[in-house]
Amino acid sequence: MEVSHSVKERTIAENSLVILLQGLCGRITTVELRDESAAVGRVTSVDAFMNVRLAKVTFTDRQGAVSHLDELFVTGRNIRYVHIPDEVDIRATIEEQLQAIHRVRCFGGRDKGRREFPCAKHR
Amino acid sequence: MADEVDQQQTTNTVEEPLDLIRLSLDERIYVKMRNDRELRGRLHAYDQHLNMILGDVEETVTTIEIDEETYEEIYKVRTKKGVNLSSQIFFCI
Repeated sequence: MEVSHSVKERTIAENSLVILLQGLCGRITTVELRDESAAVGRVTSVDAFMNVRLAKVTFTDRQGAVSHLDELFVTGRNIRYVHIPDEVDIRATIEEQLQAIHRVRCFGGRDKGRREFPCAKHR
Repeated sequence: MADEVDQQQTTNTVEEPLDLIRLSLDERIYVKMRNDRELRGRLHAYDQHLNMILGDVEETVTTIEIDEETYEEIYKVRTKKGVNLSSQIFFCI
């Protein structure tokens, strides 16, 4: 469960559905691109801007030509659909990702470490 | 463990257009997209960018092929199984 090292990316991810895609790391999914090509492979990483890295990819381009790639990077802007595997529990995945971010944010405990939100209220 | 720094709040009143979408959660919706694409599916989740998670979704792409004499409209319907996340929603109804 890798959380981005950037505060900005963490915040963006935490406040949108990209966090679900980040929880799909390690799973095999189909990414359909805006130009109607499709890539099937294992998700290596997803960042806050929905840039996706895939491994062991079967790439079908617009014309239908199939090619196999070891790694593929897709810019977030070029993604139209991401297929979510049936076995994925969406709510649980999102909560796990949010907890991972929470752990990173509160690293060191209440009084230790540099705080992300200086005057955060602790409930 | 309490949800400490969770700043998201959910209200029950309809205040902005996105709230109207919230009313449609878990319902079947029809989404109109750019490039003459349509989706019909059950809305599981959405965000401020209108990324959506739809289940049991069917995508319809409308392409127009013109015969020389007659004006024919051809529909291509593709059915996707399972759940999709769409990142190119233009607007939805």
